[in-house]
Amino acid sequence: MTRFTKVAGLTALLLAGASASSLNAQTAEVLHWWTSGGEQAAIAEIRKGYEARGGEWIDTPIAGGSAARAAAVNRMLGGDPATVFQFAIGEQLRELADQGLLADVENVAAGQGWDDKLPPLIMQAAKHDGKYIAAPINIHGENWMFYNGAALEKAGVSVPKSWPEFIETAQKLQDAGIIPIGLGGQPWQERILFNSVMLGVAGRDFYARAYSTLDEDLLMSDTMLKVFETFAALKPFVDEGSPGRRWNEATAMMIDGRAAFHFMGDWAKGEIIAAGIEPGSSVGCVFAPAEDLAYIMTVDVFAFSNIDTDAARAAQEKMAGVMFDPDVQIAFNQKKGSIPARMDIPNDSFDDCAQYAIKTIQDPNTHLVSTGLFGVPSSVSGAIDDTISNFWNSADMTPEQGRDSFRQAIANAK
Amino acid sequence: MVEPAHLAARRQHPDRRWWRPDWTARVALIPALIITIVCFYGFIVWTFIISLTRSRLLPVYNFTGFDQYARLFANERWWTSMQNLAIHGCLFIGGCVVIGYGLAILIDRGVRGEGLFRTMFMMPLSMSFIVTGVIWQWVMNPTLGLQEAVRDLGWVTFEFNWIVRQDRSIYTLAIAGIWQQVGLCMALFLAGLRNVDPNIWKASRVDGIPVWRVYLHIITPMMRTVFFTVFILMSAIVMKAFDLVVALTGGGPGFSSDLPARFVVDHILNRQELGMGAAGAFVLLCTVLAVISPYIYFELRKARGAH
Repeated sequence: MTRFTKVAGLTALLLAGASASSLNAQTAEVLHWWTSGGEQAAIAEIRKGYEARGGEWIDTPIAGGSAARAAAVNRMLGGDPATVFQFAIGEQLRELADQGLLADVENVAAGQGWDDKLPPLIMQAAKHDGKYIAAPINIHGENWMFYNGAALEKAGVSVPKSWPEFIETAQKLQDAGIIPIGLGGQPWQERILFNSVMLGVAGRDFYARAYSTLDEDLLMSDTMLKVFETFAALKPFVDEGSPGRRWNEATAMMIDGRAAFHFMGDWAKGEIIAAGIEPGSSVGCVFAPAEDLAYIMTVDVFAFSNIDTDAARAAQEKMAGVMFDPDVQIAFNQKKGSIPARMDIPNDSFDDCAQYAIKTIQDPNTHLVSTGLFGVPSSVSGAIDDTISNFWNSADMTPEQGRDSFRQAIANAK
Repeated sequence: MVEPAHLAARRQHPDRRWWRPDWTARVALIPALIITIVCFYGFIVWTFIISLTRSRLLPVYNFTGFDQYARLFANERWWTSMQNLAIHGCLFIGGCVVIGYGLAILIDRGVRGEGLFRTMFMMPLSMSFIVTGVIWQWVMNPTLGLQEAVRDLGWVTFEFNWIVRQDRSIYTLAIAGIWQQVGLCMALFLAGLRNVDPNIWKASRVDGIPVWRVYLHIITPMMRTVFFTVFILMSAIVMKAFDLVVALTGGGPGFSSDLPARFVVDHILNRQELGMGAAGAFVLLCTVLAVISPYIYFELRKARGAH
């Protein structure tokens, strides 16, 4: 072999190697805040799907949602963005997009027909200038009411269908020596209870209008006063140790029968399953009392940093495709306790509670936003949590004062 | 007196001034100086600039005047947290000084097993505020802590539920804070007491002055610099108190035990209210300066005058 052919052969080999690796090197660094056992098992399903399609996954978990979001933003500003990162959809994500920090995945979305398969509310929130900037993977519901069947039986009561009925039931439970509501006393948990009361007392149309417009007349209406009155009437049915309690401790109270009812998002199912109980059996799940059928939704999404290399773009598009894949969404959501963001997925492989939720959201009128992460600007969301928690824990605030401080805090934060 | 080596060297080589040790010391200080100017004063200025903009998630520079301050001052939670800072500051600093000094005096009187007591009181200091907060959260939780324990012993009407009461929760911060820091104050006071000239004690004994009067009228005025040190150290801890609130009460119930530092962090990191958070930080800085600087000025002037 001449020297020339040797060199040429080597060069060709190198070139082939280089091009092969640039084709295969769809390396995606994924920054997320899913660090607990069940959450890790869930995100492992996305990873499995991504790796099965030839991608390489670099895992960057950061404990705590706000810490992870801050890290994602800091890294973007510092010029070393993660390829894919978990975020909250809504105003904050649009602000990042406005600054040109995000890439869109419109190609994939158009190819997979995201528009027809996502709930309209989520579709709008995931878009910026008509293009998808986030891949929604699941929907969590926040207006669940879990109950301990044995505790209800002991007090001789059944599951209430309205809030006045709930208050009667709670009184009987208390007389029987059972804590009626196992409540975690952190602002966001108290807000989950409040929003369920608001949905039940004011109805879903009022809920949707009040939170989408943040209109002062609605917030100062008599309906809103009734919401605060009902909410205040629940105060005696919570035990003294509630303030500061974490959500999983409150779930445990309901599971072991110290408390009868528990208002929480469907992630509580993880705790129920971990206790060896099938959700929907001895621990039941129904929607919080309301006349209108509705689902208060919160959604987990991943967004994509603006990285101007073909490899990164390819990795991001592949990732978006994987996240919207029906099998990945099924496997992921069974581990996470949520339901798929896609509405077109057959529901027979899910537990009873999830099946009921999937059936419910087939009607778009049932779709409501949570005020936690995506329904309202984060400043308003925080203000809502503040005032609700302040009212709930106050010994002497009247419902009128509660309504007034609610309106004022929202107006101030808007 | 022997002349220091570098002064002798300077006299021998008056022309080689760049070689003077104090010159090199100054050069060595330049990095520290730059860091102080940029990271400390620079960022104070930057925070102020941000507080004049409508920045939310990211810093943007569209100025809106003092809009963020107006929003801040209309915020109920901000005023609660400022009021809490005053309450907590007075109780915490006062408690640390009084209890720390008291303990130091008791130990200085020569209790048996002094080493044991010293270690015992210093022990909590080795724990972080987070750990302190979690421990006290358990102790004060009415359904699993002290209240429940005493009730189980038979005193069923016993009540200690401050941590879940909006009107009392702020006091729990002071309890946990004092518990943790009192050992440090005690150690500082004890060091001061040990420096007191034994002849003073001998003289007072000869004159037949009661012990408490010696402490009150002679020793305490002599300890002025120690009081000053303790005050400054504890004030710094009050101003940056963040982790203790997070771990102990989470600012709750409601926002009744919130402190400004937590308010600021919460608004910047969780609520994407960069502008308002910056405004809060700046107001906090001004408040602190307004309260502390007269005292520092007074003390330092007195110290200089004494020389």
